[in-house]
Amino acid sequence: MSTQPSAALLQMNDVFLSLGSVCAESQVSKSFTLRVSPGERLAILGPSGAGKTTLLRLLALDLSPLRGEVLFKGRAQQSWPAAKLSHHRAVMPQNCQVAFGLAVNLVIALGRVARISDPFVSDIVFDAACLARADHLLSRRCDTLSGGEYARVHLARVFAQLWDTKDGLILVDEPLATLDLGLQENILQALDAFATERHHAIVAVLHDVNHALRAFDRLLLIKESQLYADVASNKQAVPLFESLYGLPLECLRTADNVLVVSPRSNFSRAG
Amino acid sequence: MIWLGDLLHKNPGWWLGVALFLMFGLAVQVGAVPVQANDWLVVLKIFEGSAPGDTAQAFSAGSHVLFNLRLPRVLLAVLVGASLGLSGALTQSLFRNPLAEPGLLGVSAGAACAAALTIVMFAEISLTVIAPVRTWLLPLAAFAGALAVCFALEHMARWIAPGSVAALLLTGIAMNALAGAVIGLCTFLADDEQLRSLSFWTLGSVAGAQWMWVGLFAGLLGIGYYRLRRTMQSLNALALGEAAARQIGVNVPGLRKQIIVWVALLAGLAVAFCGMISFVGLIAPHLVRLWVGPDQRQVLPLAMLLGGLLLLVADTLARVVAVPAEIPVGIFTALVGGPFFFLLVRQSRVQVG
Repeated sequence: MSTQPSAALLQMNDVFLSLGSVCAESQVSKSFTLRVSPGERLAILGPSGAGKTTLLRLLALDLSPLRGEVLFKGRAQQSWPAAKLSHHRAVMPQNCQVAFGLAVNLVIALGRVARISDPFVSDIVFDAACLARADHLLSRRCDTLSGGEYARVHLARVFAQLWDTKDGLILVDEPLATLDLGLQENILQALDAFATERHHAIVAVLHDVNHALRAFDRLLLIKESQLYADVASNKQAVPLFESLYGLPLECLRTADNVLVVSPRSNFSRAG
Repeated sequence: MIWLGDLLHKNPGWWLGVALFLMFGLAVQVGAVPVQANDWLVVLKIFEGSAPGDTAQAFSAGSHVLFNLRLPRVLLAVLVGASLGLSGALTQSLFRNPLAEPGLLGVSAGAACAAALTIVMFAEISLTVIAPVRTWLLPLAAFAGALAVCFALEHMARWIAPGSVAALLLTGIAMNALAGAVIGLCTFLADDEQLRSLSFWTLGSVAGAQWMWVGLFAGLLGIGYYRLRRTMQSLNALALGEAAARQIGVNVPGLRKQIIVWVALLAGLAVAFCGMISFVGLIAPHLVRLWVGPDQRQVLPLAMLLGGLLLLVADTLARVVAVPAEIPVGIFTALVGGPFFFLLVRQSRVQVG
């Protein structure tokens, strides 16, 4: 702790990713040490079942680590009061079912439940819904939404939660997985704009390498519950992707000079 | 008719209040002994304190029935119904399950178990208990049973899998089975007289109402509602699941403990004084949710009002259907509530799917 005087937003020291009933100590697994700076964009990538979600849940303290500690703003996460922590840190889980079919505007307003007095809540709910492209859903019931609509409502809830704070942290688990191509683009931009404006850091579990390369500063590659690589998000990361996913990849540049990675494969429909 | 529906949606609390008031007036009037305006005057004077209640001449037969039997009974029906409605709504939000009820937790069974033990065991030991304690013995035992189940539930659920609602639910099922076995054993051991008092008490009835019970329940409900009023938005957050609720800043373990204690108090005391009255705690919140939607800030107070109204209607019907005999209200609510609830579930299925 004392070795890092410059304030890390989130610091994870010596934590094991233990999955299922397998005892982490007996494995030849290395412990995690991770540091997220304010305003940083960190993408967690890796094959299915590698432990990406487990890592995010450890960071979010949904799981408590067997060993080691997770510090948020220099203070152990367990010792933060839940209400105070929620003013600075929002989490969007992979799937979050809402019981009783609550109304969408109520669910978004729940992002601000820990505020004692919150006079502008209805404005914030509306603005957050607009940003997450969920404003047309406000009067709907949650149990009538499709998967993609659901994801946008929860994103709006996260936006509402951190609407009027700065230097916060957003933890998201595959926010784009259920969205169509157009919405993926919109939501990625909205997330980026929201975080840039308020200098929030984002830690996201992603599937799409191209999203990670475009919108994130740093990539955390996970394989078999271990840290495979912690690299800057640029062309040098592509060979690591190849060995991470076990797939030959090809780097392309679009007309706007955006790096795009595509599997190098003969498999293609004629035409 | 559209404006009527509009009014119903805008002021559900107001409508329920009016319905409760009208039903109250009706319930006090009807019954085996008719009540005249004169009797009301006598009762009013008792409340003013000017006419001493102990002078037997002041009491006509009607005013005696009104003051000592009917008024406390009707008020107790409303208050117990409200307690059941509130505890039902709390249980449902705790378990994120619209079909949950306090009986599911094993709270009612725990109370019943403790009371059955008291009835059988105290006769065996033949302890001489002083008279004022004796009247409170059964309710106290039942309440203690409910509380014990609640604390055991909280403790064991944590021990099995921290923070998991499924564990709590399974423990509740185990509790129900355990309490059921003990009640069965008591039934087996009891002699004829005890069996009679056991079964009367298990059936559920507000017939033995006393003014002291009315005061107790009114105080309990008042404090309960006051304390829970501030947690209603947090209860909404529980609908997102415990992990998400914690992430948005709700102190989930504290909230859970608070709900569990209030469920034990409300449902346990209801069982303690009136026996097992089923379905009110299940139907009242369910109907309210169909009416105004699932926002707990509305569901909790309205489920209270509707629970009171439902039990009052049920008790009044139970009193007048077979005058001068009366059906135990617990049987009545189960008979009417069961099929009605099936219809509700079926209807909501059709609407969604």
